[in-house]
Amino acid sequence: MARDEQVQSAIDNWAPRFIANGIDYNDFIRVTSSIESWDDWCQAWSACGAMHEQMAEHAEAQENYISAAYHYFHAAISYHFGKYLFVRHPDQLRVAHDHVVRDYQHALPYFDFPGERVTFPYEGGAAMPAILRKPWHTPKPPIVILVPGLDSVKEELHLYGDDFLRRGMAVLALDGPGQGEMEFDFPLRHDYEVPVRYAIDYLESRPDIDARRIGLMGVSFGGQFAVRAAAFEPRIKAAIENCGPYNQATNFRNRPRISRETMVHRLKAANEEEAQQKLQQFNLQGVAERVSCPMLVIQGRRDRLVPAEQGERIAAEIGSSAELWLFEDGNHVCNNIPYKHRPQQADWMRQKLLER
Amino acid sequence: MARDERVQSAIDNWAPRFIANGIDYNDFIRVTNSVETWDEWCQKWCECGAMHEQMGEQAEAAGNYESAAYHYLHAAMAYHFGKFLFLSHPDQLRAAHERNVAVYQRALPYFDMPGERVAIPYEGGSTMYGILRKPWHVAKPPVVILVPGLDSVKEEMHNYGNVFLERGMAVLAIDGPGQGEMEFEHPMRHDYEVAIRHAIDYLEQRPDVDAGRVGLMGVSMGGYYAPRAAAFEPRVKAAIAVAGGYNITGHFDRLPRLTRDAFIARSASGSEQEALEKLASFNLEGVMEKVRCPLLIIMGRLDRLIPPSDAERMAAEAGGEVELWMFEDGNHVCNNIVYKHRPQMADWMRGQLRA
Repeated sequence: MARDEQVQSAIDNWAPRFIANGIDYNDFIRVTSSIESWDDWCQAWSACGAMHEQMAEHAEAQENYISAAYHYFHAAISYHFGKYLFVRHPDQLRVAHDHVVRDYQHALPYFDFPGERVTFPYEGGAAMPAILRKPWHTPKPPIVILVPGLDSVKEELHLYGDDFLRRGMAVLALDGPGQGEMEFDFPLRHDYEVPVRYAIDYLESRPDIDARRIGLMGVSFGGQFAVRAAAFEPRIKAAIENCGPYNQATNFRNRPRISRETMVHRLKAANEEEAQQKLQQFNLQGVAERVSCPMLVIQGRRDRLVPAEQGERIAAEIGSSAELWLFEDGNHVCNNIPYKHRPQQADWMRQKLLER
Repeated sequence: MARDERVQSAIDNWAPRFIANGIDYNDFIRVTNSVETWDEWCQKWCECGAMHEQMGEQAEAAGNYESAAYHYLHAAMAYHFGKFLFLSHPDQLRAAHERNVAVYQRALPYFDMPGERVAIPYEGGSTMYGILRKPWHVAKPPVVILVPGLDSVKEEMHNYGNVFLERGMAVLAIDGPGQGEMEFEHPMRHDYEVAIRHAIDYLEQRPDVDAGRVGLMGVSMGGYYAPRAAAFEPRVKAAIAVAGGYNITGHFDRLPRLTRDAFIARSASGSEQEALEKLASFNLEGVMEKVRCPLLIIMGRLDRLIPPSDAERMAAEAGGEVELWMFEDGNHVCNNIVYKHRPQMADWMRGQLRA
């Protein structure tokens, strides 16, 4: 089968991420093998999502709620990876997006650590959506805010959430500006401390969460957002950034084409040139040095999207409150070695939030 | 890289099983890519196991017990799949086996549904070992006995156990004769109801599980043992057979070399001929009609080891209520479509055991 370049690039680069974040291995092989041109991508993954959705509805109708959660989750993640970079066909993207949100929401009450969809005020009378999950075995737990990246969404952070939940921390996964439910009306913004400020204002209003012990974790572009927010939001007690870019403008030209298209789209830029200009602000110069809370920097030496030197620079400029975990064998977000950093980072966060 | 045939066969056939049962996807790719000849197989997987074991020890020393359980489980699975068909080098097999048992045991108290290693009295003063895990949220739960196959062991049943536990059932995973801890001294036996009888006798002694509601689930060769035991052990209230053979000798020549070697070794035979003679009694003819409890039979039409028609025959001859779930797109044990049968079978069992 003659595959087009974008499909081949997707398959080569993303198997570890898809699987680490909830796509069944066999689905990955079967669905990607069935796709010849990038135009078929979203539809093929949506068909996979629909299969899982159907199993979920069946389980739910039979009152097999644990199975329903399992299937709805698989459905949501399949739809998500159908749409995540599919900005060339906004209609299809939107349909798949709606399934991600709806299916995941269906699963929420049935997860072992159940969740609730919350919305809280954002600028200009707008509302920001998030998923809040709490460890039932810990009253008034500390909480970790989970920040997605350029092409991930709050639902994709589910398994990250589980690691924190099992260790007694609540999680609040956000769709910030430019992400998931907010990607249609709000462009990405460099001053991500603003959405995080709104999130923490909301958490302070909840009696069931200890808002004095708030952590933050961001992956990929979300890693930059985490540094940025930690620099300007003193209520953050500890943060983790995983493969975030120091300076997104310098990385732009070396990104794969679909990734550049996605960047243009989510910045609400007219073209690559405008995107390049807007990205000038997405820069941690003069910002990283303002971080004073403990910050864990995770970076893979084999990252092809964000050069490892950027992780090293972030850690160096933060200074003594930074801890750098540089993995020689790690790819972007170290998704190829989840066992070397996911449980460990959750342990790190637990320790920081318990120290107070 | 020129791979030998056995390595290639392992890679082609087993990715779905390894991953479904707990091997990290990236480890599967990396380790199998690094293996050129079959002789290296066990060692490469043991190196992978040692890496995870070391992470487990570090986490444990730091008091990070959730992480310790996670790493030890990965270590145990890596050692297990290093050893599972490595009959050509018994010393290496034995060493990897012992690592598997030891590191899994270290994980037991730290799992979200913790477990304990139990010693079950078996024939002739010997002992059968099992892993008992209980759902902390259900008092005196029903129990599902998990039965491995020719080359699987109680530890490999861990993820199966989780689906029952989440639904309020305890699980007892056993190494029966010819399996895991019993494979060195006790050959596999066709009358597996003996092993199950001892297991249920043991469960009846425990005040914390409901031995009046015992289910049984077996995979592959265990999919033969489960109906066999259900036929002769009336205390089994419901059984699930996944990809079991009706008659092993009837299609012995279908099996890859490694699998035939395992049959020879685990039946304590000196040759293929002797194995075939011993395996003749592993036959459900005249047995299926004695199965009176509800029985769920799961089979993949794409199974290359067991003919799918064996499952149809089992279902046709069963003496009680029976369901056959035949998946057109399923491979051996349907490990390539876990989401189509694992949660569903656990829901089925919960219904049968009124959990």
